Amino acid sequence: MRFLVVDDSSTMRRIIINTLNKIGYTDIVEAGNGREGIDRVSEGPVDLVITDWNMPEMNGIEFIRALRTMDGKDKLPVLMVTTNAAKDDIVEALRAGVNNYVVKPFTPETIKEKIDAVLAH
Amino acid sequence: MIETLRACTIDVFGTMVGTALAEGTPLDGDALRPQSNVVGQIGFGGSRSGLVVFYATFAGAGFITRMLLGLDEQTEPSKPEVADAIGEITNMIAGSFRTRMATDGDAWAISIPTVTMGSDFYMTPLTDGRRTMLPFRMQDHEIFVELVITTAKVRRA
Repeated sequence: MRFLVVDDSSTMRRIIINTLNKIGYTDIVEAGNGREGIDRVSEGPVDLVITDWNMPEMNGIEFIRALRTMDGKDKLPVLMVTTNAAKDDIVEALRAGVNNYVVKPFTPETIKEKIDAVLAH
Repeated sequence: MIETLRACTIDVFGTMVGTALAEGTPLDGDALRPQSNVVGQIGFGGSRSGLVVFYATFAGAGFITRMLLGLDEQTEPSKPEVADAIGEITNMIAGSFRTRMATDGDAWAISIPTVTMGSDFYMTPLTDGRRTMLPFRMQDHEIFVELVITTAKVRRA
């Protein structure tokens, strides 16, 4: 299973990648913003996307909206990891096409639970 | 508000850095101005507005960076790695603070983080607001989180 991690913070990408490694996932590609994320998805197969919200050039919401218009990507599982945790934020993310939502700070157990829930759908 | 910020800081360090923080006594105003080397800062706005400021020494910031990135004790993180890590820690503390302060119908927002690094500078906000410094001890390192609240309430349309 190949993951795509999209975050402008190299620290947060490393944290998420380390977390994925801990829970048994090692096939991971990275992108620094939504536009790069679209490039990675176009370049090869991706099975699950983990994305930040606030990013330069193309933010997480714009990225997901663009992703959902791509051929065959309307059902690609997307998990959003962000500090934006207000009810309105979550509603906006879900409307944009996010499948599940993780609020920072998070534990590896939380990430695993959310990934399992997304994949079970 | 200061109790909320204290709880957020402890939660972020316990969850993301894997370190329990020992708490000191909060100090108001200019009673304590830490001579820190790495300072993260984020503005917030809602029914109140102000700043969340995070202070660490180079050694403390390096420790946090190693813990966040999963590096061993011998590895010295680069300055960009330290700046990014402290920006992310500040973002998580301020983001959690924003989430806990927000209530229905009362939107809160935070700015993107800025990080200042150096060996001879002093941070002081240009505001008449109320300032409270939260001191913490993280193993051998002292860190500080400051809440600056602007005096005037934000006007709503």
